[in-house]
Amino acid sequence: MVLYSFYIFDRHTECIYSRRWTPRPVSSSGKNARPQSGSSIGTDGDGQGRKGMSAADDEKLIFGLVFSLRNMVQKLGGEDDTFLSYRTGEYKLHYYETPTRMKFVMLTDTKQNNLRPYLHQIWANLYVEFVVKNPLAPVEHPGGVGVANEMFERGLETFIVAVLPA
Amino acid sequence: MVVFALFIISKAGGLIYNREFHTGMSKLTSNDYLMLAGSFHGMHAITKQLCPAPPQPANPSSTAAVLAPSPFSSRPSGLEVLESSHFRMQCFQTLTGTKFLLFTEPQQPNIDTMMKKIYELYTDYVMKNPFYTVEMPIRCEKFDRGLDGFVKVRS
Repeated sequence: MVLYSFYIFDRHTECIYSRRWTPRPVSSSGKNARPQSGSSIGTDGDGQGRKGMSAADDEKLIFGLVFSLRNMVQKLGGEDDTFLSYRTGEYKLHYYETPTRMKFVMLTDTKQNNLRPYLHQIWANLYVEFVVKNPLAPVEHPGGVGVANEMFERGLETFIVAVLPA
Repeated sequence: MVVFALFIISKAGGLIYNREFHTGMSKLTSNDYLMLAGSFHGMHAITKQLCPAPPQPANPSSTAAVLAPSPFSSRPSGLEVLESSHFRMQCFQTLTGTKFLLFTEPQQPNIDTMMKKIYELYTDYVMKNPFYTVEMPIRCEKFDRGLDGFVKVRS
């Protein structure tokens, strides 16, 4: 299975954590934790032939997209309907929203089943444990402050290796 | 087996056909449907942009390749299936950019063949209709009846 990227958006539409795993080993060393992600604009980038698209642009596009899709789904299916995932010919996007309107988004290859339970676990077992309960982290995370701490990063890494075998 | 609705969106993003087969989705005004169709058109374009990996050349199992083999195999396809807790939406885009959206139950099998049949009905009764102007709303009794017969037989 191929995991492309993972994003966390807070309730103020801001991307507070992003992580990319590129399938090619050449660029996999470029670990883009959120605080540094702004510096890689257009340099190594994602190298997929999209001109002038930075990582930050991607984040904004993804947020706008899941926000609109969520609204569309609620409009068509009723208030209690939730958007789960979508698939294109090339990738699949999984979505999980907490009651506090935090959004967890993961991009994988198309063969994955719905990863919503895993995203829920990332929220409950990693985000709440290592970010929310961290006494040194602020309540809100403007610019991603306090999210990408060592425990969370390591936990995420272990979790993904454990539940999503390559 | 429930098919909720069929939308057809023109290549410019306008809703040209809107048909509900089965209740179960919210009732909206026609203005709302037009707005949704327009915003879906934009979202579809964004899903193409977001493609994290270059598409594999020749993927014979994808819907688009089966229904309409594309000469531009390296172009990323946009959104194909959207899942929510109440319904599943299949989107099929023809080579000319017309989009067919089919809303079904989440666990519906064989949507690909259904979409193919609907596309056949469209080409037979809409595109071959001498009184139909392209990109305009579809008002075609035979198409309506064909869809009715096809969907009702299967449900």
